[in-house]
Amino acid sequence: MKFTLNIWRQKGPDEHGRFVSYEARDVSSGTSFLEMLDSVNQGLIAKGEEPVAFEQDCREGICGSCSLVINGIPHGPDRGITTCQLYMRRFPDGAVITIEPWRARAFPIIKDLVVDRRALDRIMQAGGYISVHTGGAVDGNVLLISKDQAETAMDAASCIGCGACVAACKNASPALFVGAKVSHLELLPQGKPERTNRVKAMLEAVDREGFGSCGNQNECEAVCPKRISVRFIAILNREYLRAGVVESGLPAEPESPHAEST
Amino acid sequence: MMTLDPKIPPGPLETKWDRRRFSEKLVSPNNKRKITVIVVGTGLAGASAASTLGQLGYQVECFCFQDSPRRAHSIAAQGGINAAKNYQDDGDSVARLFYDTIKGGDFRSREANVYRLAQVSAQIIDQCVALGVPFAREYGGQLANRSFGGVQVSRTFYCRGQTGQQLLLGAYSALCWQVERGQVTMHPRTEMLDLVTVDGKARGIVARDLVTGRLSIHTAHAVVLATGGYSNVYYLSTNASGSNVTATYRVWKQGAAFANPCFTQIHPTAIPPGGAHQAKLTLMSESLRNDGRLWVPTMRADHRCPGDIPDGERDYFLERRYPRFGNLVPRDLASRAVKAVCDESRGVGPGGQGVYLDFSDVIAQQGSDVIRERYGNLFDMYQRITGEDAYHAPMRIYPAPHYAMGGLWVDYNLMSTIPGLFVIGEANFADHGANRLGASSLMQGLADGYFILPYTIGHYLATAKLTPVGEDHQESRSAFQRVTSRISRLLSVKGRRTAASFHREVGQLLWNHCGMSRNEEGLTSALTSIPALREEFWRDVMVPGSGAAFNQELEYAGRVADYLEFAELLCHDALHREESCGAHFREEYQTDDGEPQRDDSRFSHVAAWEYREDTSPVLHKEPLAFEFVQPTTRSYQ
Amino acid sequence: MALSGLGLVIYVIFHMLGNFQVFEGPLALNAYAALLRDMPILLWAARIGLLSLAVLHVVLAIQLTLRNRRARPIAYAVREYRQASFASRTMATSGVVLLLFIIVHLLHLTVGVIDPSSVDRLDVEGHRDVYGKLVHAFQNPFIVAFYLAGQLGLGLHLSHAVTSSFQTLGLEQAAFNRLLKAAGPGVALLVVLGNVAIILAVFLGIVRG
Repeated sequence: MKFTLNIWRQKGPDEHGRFVSYEARDVSSGTSFLEMLDSVNQGLIAKGEEPVAFEQDCREGICGSCSLVINGIPHGPDRGITTCQLYMRRFPDGAVITIEPWRARAFPIIKDLVVDRRALDRIMQAGGYISVHTGGAVDGNVLLISKDQAETAMDAASCIGCGACVAACKNASPALFVGAKVSHLELLPQGKPERTNRVKAMLEAVDREGFGSCGNQNECEAVCPKRISVRFIAILNREYLRAGVVESGLPAEPESPHAEST
Repeated sequence: MMTLDPKIPPGPLETKWDRRRFSEKLVSPNNKRKITVIVVGTGLAGASAASTLGQLGYQVECFCFQDSPRRAHSIAAQGGINAAKNYQDDGDSVARLFYDTIKGGDFRSREANVYRLAQVSAQIIDQCVALGVPFAREYGGQLANRSFGGVQVSRTFYCRGQTGQQLLLGAYSALCWQVERGQVTMHPRTEMLDLVTVDGKARGIVARDLVTGRLSIHTAHAVVLATGGYSNVYYLSTNASGSNVTATYRVWKQGAAFANPCFTQIHPTAIPPGGAHQAKLTLMSESLRNDGRLWVPTMRADHRCPGDIPDGERDYFLERRYPRFGNLVPRDLASRAVKAVCDESRGVGPGGQGVYLDFSDVIAQQGSDVIRERYGNLFDMYQRITGEDAYHAPMRIYPAPHYAMGGLWVDYNLMSTIPGLFVIGEANFADHGANRLGASSLMQGLADGYFILPYTIGHYLATAKLTPVGEDHQESRSAFQRVTSRISRLLSVKGRRTAASFHREVGQLLWNHCGMSRNEEGLTSALTSIPALREEFWRDVMVPGSGAAFNQELEYAGRVADYLEFAELLCHDALHREESCGAHFREEYQTDDGEPQRDDSRFSHVAAWEYREDTSPVLHKEPLAFEFVQPTTRSYQ
Repeated sequence: MALSGLGLVIYVIFHMLGNFQVFEGPLALNAYAALLRDMPILLWAARIGLLSLAVLHVVLAIQLTLRNRRARPIAYAVREYRQASFASRTMATSGVVLLLFIIVHLLHLTVGVIDPSSVDRLDVEGHRDVYGKLVHAFQNPFIVAFYLAGQLGLGLHLSHAVTSSFQTLGLEQAAFNRLLKAAGPGVALLVVLGNVAIILAVFLGIVRG
């Protein structure tokens, strides 16, 4: 098979980018999309040219590294998979394929198709955790968690942090990413104690990073490689509203751990 | 002169770890603040260690080459994590998990380490639950278990087929918490390229910022390596393409002993390579062997469609060779049997690299709906990758390098032969012996990171006399210089061949001569071909672009250069071990019916290799004493 | 956004229900109008409330739109949507259309400056003849076309807006999710059908002066 690729090339974060056209020849239908790009790159390197930079690692759809917008759809035309799980038999012979990076202000381009997704880490650092010390945890069976509850939490927790939801969203909003984490932790009893601060802190981080706001268009759900449901965005919103109500009842300043009782 | 002191506490097995923890010196809280620890790698071991050290009050500098710590390759582990909880009351205990692991490793691991691993396994589950890992639950709300890898008890905890992901995200979230508290500084997209040693102690690393290309020196009081395994030396493996040997290999060159490198696990059920374009092998869950039957045609080079081959002309080779266990024999035996039939030109599919895994009998008996329910996602995955429908034609599978039991030598305290350099997770050699059981790697990574290293590193930091070392220290500068000159050397070759072509070639060489079965002749020939290939690499490799910018090809070429050296060490070790044990099968050492022959009288030791600049690596032996269990022969016939 | 929007949606529904009295003849509608006018404090309170809701809604919309535009400074060269509905992607456009329509509508039927040919009269019971004004307006094909276009904007806007606001308010429950999802298109359809029925009933002569 033979393909014409229109690939976004950009030397660095502050450079201007443009589309460059490449031919991929002698591609067998069992080649994965990334292997097809590998072979284009091998040709470029052999000529002493710089290969197209793109991200990948596990190549089995779980690490969340790969991040290509293929013909206008993050992770390409198939549902429920990442780019690395896409195979060339999915495209007609001779097809023209446009490949772009994730586009969002919060994901600045590093080079070509590689973007900086640390904003997602910073959102997690703001509150996407349960603060328990290592050691001294109670027996795992002390907390009884119903099967349904555990399964729903797992649905939310299966997010791979690839950022396709942001890439697909008209507004570049990470609501599905945040909603998945907030829901995962809120649905489990272990996560309840910190739920109020968690949702506020994570959404404040979203604002700081320059993402857009959720317009409930649900495009994120359609491109999510783990098919995470937008109902978790509703849970996120509910948690946020709840936090606003609860907050008024919380003490303004926590007592210092070193304060002596008088 | 290198000495191997495993520092195993004497006395009863059950209380070794307790007594060691009590005898360890502690660092006072005020002093912890002034101590910096470098952690390289953010998989299960690295992330759990970095977060726990942060909680304890140390200043942690944490590095990963990925864009986020959450993408480390632990994320891809599917099956589950073992723990001796005995929730099912089916006779499990710390002692049984210990024994299963020792026996599974074919009696090539340390009793004391493995016992400690079994002891802390239960705590790991509790810790992960507390962190919010959504383990599978029973209807009554209790944690669910399944049996895994042919053991007789149900001790495996799991999160669907994404256990590694959930455990890693748990450790990652703990790490996020410490980053937020300012205890851990994350350096993503930063690759460690060399070690700084001062007065023989590990005091820092040289790292390259992969975005800007800037090299920097980071000094600390101790360095922890959690950089995973080296299966990618085979080019095609189930590992992520970024997984590499560079960090462990470069500290080896600085004086850390490398132990048992020839113990590499080859997983039997991966999707076969489809052609030269292939960059990675995809693992299919081992559970498929519960219902599928492995076979090849009886005739050589039989190119008929599988459906046209009558039953009489099929060889169900595992059932034939191992009538008692049939298709469920352990990974190493299954892999070797597959290779044996393919070597007889009876393999199927492109290049004759594959055997059939046939579900037609079970589908005929139980209907395709039952199979769909059990393995639907795996069949879908198979179809997506190969374009074939396994409900109607048999799957094709082929073994793939999967895990490295070998790694840097460490003592009971997880410290390498370089004081202050600790090695945890897959990167060390300690707990799996010559073969790893399913669902044990996650257990080991988290045991090291959450519960063992944080204790043992404290003792070192409390007792070692460490002078201040900065970026300007002579040793820092010389490590920096080593890295600089290496990078400019890579860029200056400007040859005609890509790094990938060399990687593929060395991988193929190893696969043929140091793969599932090895012999003296093959290993000796590999030991002459590898240096020649390496020489060609340094004469003819093409690395475009510059070192002062984002340059993925430069990163990759550096790793390939290390594979080209490390492959030699692998072959030396395989050549030295004149016995067959676990994943290491030497054709000269087998019984008349083709079963491996272990030689406890000569090889009941850990082979730890020391780097020498001008000669072959030097072997040191750490004898393995079995005080509490008696080595027996593994038999599955 | 969601709360102000929902407030406006409730008004739109009542506005339609009130106007249905056109089918009961001039006296009923005029009496209804008079009833509203007889309570000037309530009427003006409602008008001010509505106006502030609308202003709030528009200001928030502008703020969000600007923020969202900033969130993606470089657009995709190729873009294909798989799930986001046309309505959801055109909220800003349909919102502007709707705003223009409402302004014209107010100037036309409330302030009465658009169509000078319409005259204020009193009906037989001495109420202002709103009915007559309505019938007069919707006999004009241009005005009818304009109102139908307005309804199109309204329908488009509402079909996404209602469901979306439920989602924003965190209403989510497995048993009701289908209902919540259907609410937007459902409300939009009912309101548009209702309003269009009034307009067309006049235009087609089913309701006469």
